[in-house]
Amino acid sequence: MQKVIETLLIGLTTGSIYALMSLAIVLVWRSTRVVNFAQAGQAMLATYVGFEIASRSGVFWLAVLFAIVAGALVGAGVDYFFMRVLFKHANSGPAAVVAPVIATLGLLGLIRSFVGLTWGGEFKTIESPVSTDGYTVGSTTLPFSPLNTLIIVTVSIILIALAILFQRTNLGLALRASAYAPEIAKLAGIRTARTRTIGWAIAGGVGAVAGMLNTANNFLTPYSLDLLLVFGFIAAVVGGLESMVGAVVGALVLGIGLTIILNYVGTSLVFIGGFAVLILVLLIKPDGIMAKGKGRRA
Amino acid sequence: MESWRKVRDVVRKKIALFVFLGWVLLIVGDRVDELRVYQGAQIAMYTIALTSIVLLTGYSGQVSLGNGAMMAVGAYAAALTLNNLQTPIWFAFLMAILVSALFGALLGSAAARLAGPYLAGTTLALAVGLPAIANQFSFLGGEPGLIFDVGFPPERFGEEFTQYKWFFWIASCIALVAIFVTSNILQSRFGRTWRAIRGNSLAAELAGIHASRMKVLAFTMSSALAGLAGAVLAMNIGLVAPGAFTLALSFGLVTGAVLAGISSLPGVVLGGFILVVIPEIADVIANRLGDADKLNSYLPGLIVSVLLILSVIYTPNGPGENLRKHLRKKAAH
Amino acid sequence: MIGKTRRKRTWFVAAVLASGSLFATALPAHAETGVTSSEIKLGITLPLTGAASPGYNKIGNAMNAYFKYVNDNGGVYGRKITLIQKNDEYSPQLSIAKTNELILKDKVFALVGPLGTANFTAVHKSVGIARRGVPSLFLNTGFSGFANKKAYPTSFTILPSYAMEAKIAAQFLKENFAGKKLGLVYQNDEFGIDALGAFKAAGVKFDVSVPYTSGTQGSATAQTWVSQLAAGGAQVVVFFGVTSATAALLGVAAAAKYAPQWVLGSVGSDPLILRALGVPVAVLNGALTLSGNPSPNDTSDEYVKQFQEINTKYNPGVAFDDYVLQGMNVGLMTVQALRAAGSNLTRKGLIRAMETKGSTFASVAYSPLGYSKTSNVGHTGYYMAVMDATGDRKPYGGSAVVYTTDSGSGPVVKSTFKRPAMPAKGLPTNS
Repeated sequence: MQKVIETLLIGLTTGSIYALMSLAIVLVWRSTRVVNFAQAGQAMLATYVGFEIASRSGVFWLAVLFAIVAGALVGAGVDYFFMRVLFKHANSGPAAVVAPVIATLGLLGLIRSFVGLTWGGEFKTIESPVSTDGYTVGSTTLPFSPLNTLIIVTVSIILIALAILFQRTNLGLALRASAYAPEIAKLAGIRTARTRTIGWAIAGGVGAVAGMLNTANNFLTPYSLDLLLVFGFIAAVVGGLESMVGAVVGALVLGIGLTIILNYVGTSLVFIGGFAVLILVLLIKPDGIMAKGKGRRA
Repeated sequence: MESWRKVRDVVRKKIALFVFLGWVLLIVGDRVDELRVYQGAQIAMYTIALTSIVLLTGYSGQVSLGNGAMMAVGAYAAALTLNNLQTPIWFAFLMAILVSALFGALLGSAAARLAGPYLAGTTLALAVGLPAIANQFSFLGGEPGLIFDVGFPPERFGEEFTQYKWFFWIASCIALVAIFVTSNILQSRFGRTWRAIRGNSLAAELAGIHASRMKVLAFTMSSALAGLAGAVLAMNIGLVAPGAFTLALSFGLVTGAVLAGISSLPGVVLGGFILVVIPEIADVIANRLGDADKLNSYLPGLIVSVLLILSVIYTPNGPGENLRKHLRKKAAH
Repeated sequence: MIGKTRRKRTWFVAAVLASGSLFATALPAHAETGVTSSEIKLGITLPLTGAASPGYNKIGNAMNAYFKYVNDNGGVYGRKITLIQKNDEYSPQLSIAKTNELILKDKVFALVGPLGTANFTAVHKSVGIARRGVPSLFLNTGFSGFANKKAYPTSFTILPSYAMEAKIAAQFLKENFAGKKLGLVYQNDEFGIDALGAFKAAGVKFDVSVPYTSGTQGSATAQTWVSQLAAGGAQVVVFFGVTSATAALLGVAAAAKYAPQWVLGSVGSDPLILRALGVPVAVLNGALTLSGNPSPNDTSDEYVKQFQEINTKYNPGVAFDDYVLQGMNVGLMTVQALRAAGSNLTRKGLIRAMETKGSTFASVAYSPLGYSKTSNVGHTGYYMAVMDATGDRKPYGGSAVVYTTDSGSGPVVKSTFKRPAMPAKGLPTNS
């Protein structure tokens, strides 16, 4: 029984961090119809900025603030300087299908190399703002610490904030319109290009939080966020790329599923487990769990 | 009758071309030192792997990030066959092709309904997950991997004929045959059908093409090629381990394909060459600039990424297309 | 018609060229590879980045610092030593590629200190180290399989094997923790299995045994290790893995308030690095670990003192820890080996020098060196040490009691060996 509880708790925590990454991916997808593989790279760069602030000031939340700003700036920068140029040039031929995917992959490699050359590959740490000792219930200590609680609370707050943004504000309306029907949005007076950039900036900020929370419990290297990218992406696809709630649900499902495999089957099957979860979901619902069956707009 | 003779002539010309290329490679292999010969074998291996991507993504339009995983399947199949059944080498390679074709067919049927990012995501998960399986089952050798020893060249080639030269000969032969066969397939009805599907799946269906069956076929053939490349990789390194089939390999392959022209078959040799040459160049630059270890670890990645981004933006369909456009413009004047 | 003739000509030319090339002869080899009148090129593959790199990535620079010191003081018979480091990220497949570069492109004279069990196993077979006659000195691994001189004729170990370490640990466990529940966490390849086998042969039975795949260490997987250990009630936990894995295990155990008696294998237990990786000093306090060298903070030891001075001058900004000590020691041994091979330096000569004179070399470790014509084994012994509240390592029981043994079924005996003195100023003068 204890193992079940432990598995659920660990799964919930890892799932929450994946949720942030998959949210960022879905945000970009919904505003640009591009899967941004460089999301992890942007988050990584933002986290290194956060690391610099954290090691100088010792204040975690200040570091997070700087990281969010850095992430948003990088996100906006990537869209403005990179994606627009890309769409201008690469819009014909067989490569049009592949071009955005490859381009963001290239960007990921570029950011990683830049980070590696600037900070080196040594393991860096960021102090967690709260204790990482597990809660003690009676005589047993759970693998669930105040840090895990913090993660879940933070993710929930961000999710609610984004939901309010998208459903209740004009900006949110503009973001949704620019993604689904750009021509009509333009006719309605929405500056779609600028709106898209804002979408990328928000995604960058969210990704930065994911990176910071992930590092608080782990080490920071130019490769440490790769796992986050893969699982965040899988989570986004599982949840259906069209819905933000789906992104979170998908991430939690993935997180718990992976932890079950980790605890009950074996450590080496974790990744292929991710693949299995993904293919299972897509076979039943090719558009992801939360898809409303309206048909894919790939 | 007339058209048959034309086809036969074309095929004969092609065979002659490939045989000639084979001779050239033999001569080159004799002239250069051991390191270059080894790199030549690696280029040949990448060439075969890139062919699989040209077929799958360039022609049938399915974006897969998991070619590295298919290479792993082929490599493990070859190693297991060779080590456990003690068969001749060519049989091990054959098993690599067959087993990865089978996996490809399975993957293709599951993926036929997916497109765009969903397909990319699935193949990404596969690329990350499949090699790690080796750590779970001990007969797959775990992290240290399985030895794949194709042995030494026959004695009659003399003492100077090193093992790496032998690898180069075998790898180049296989690469030439693979490209020859693929090129024929791509220029046939199959190739045209795939391009139709890539262009507009719905229209193709209306024209009577069974789109999903052709997609699965593309996956099967592409995986067979990738598996063959994996077996050649195993031969070159002498080892089949999960560490050889990282996500970086899959990304690198896609990079090479884009750099050389994703739907251009002749480009695969250029692509293979680039994939081997870039770490070399990065090494030279890093040594020139001093403080080798940090630079060495990240400089190749930097160069590859910059090249990739530039080529995707400015020559998304490969340098060949731009050249052709340029020539056409000139001709119009 | 013309096309046919042209094609025929192409065939003919190709045939002539091809047959002509078959007579191309290779260049005769005269000078020994990697040696010129002014330089000796040596190569090493090690993880400079990646999951296994913390700690080990300092070894190369430490060796280099020592070589620079020797170069500044006349080198080896007037030749300067150049060490080429290649990053293999602890991946055997990368080790093969990088070693190929070292041997075929950089054309090094010998390999010194290549790191990793699976790595060197793969390299030796694939690159053909023995076939090419490339000396590989002072392997940075303890796999007992390398002690086979027939299979590895040009290679020499320096560290005691994991089997030896396990046997010595087993004796300690039997003497001090009889009746307690034992747990084992180990890297699931030849590295860990080597130790596991020796424990079994010594009659030690573990109540909880947790293998893990190299590269998967992290807080998530460490959680599962700790759950299993705690569920099995292990009171004494032995660990055989790399430093980053030790850190993960200890960190997670501390957070879970699980505090057994730790017995850490020598490979992954440097306290300085563990603390840099976030392990609280309180957790390290009282942890037992096997060691073959004095503590890197023990400046009363002449080797440590001399190496620290060299480190400060030639490797500035780098904290002196186990890995730096180990690296400099390998440097010291290498220079002695190069000197023993004489000024007419050849690969065969180097191997012969190791076989005939290697056992007399000065080294910081406390146990004797076993090099001979029939053995390529270096050090053979360990003593049990304990970490204190400041994160330093002190001999258990006050003074170091060194035990030596072999990798087979030989007994574990107390050693009475006395180390040779450190050469004056750390510069060997042997020949």
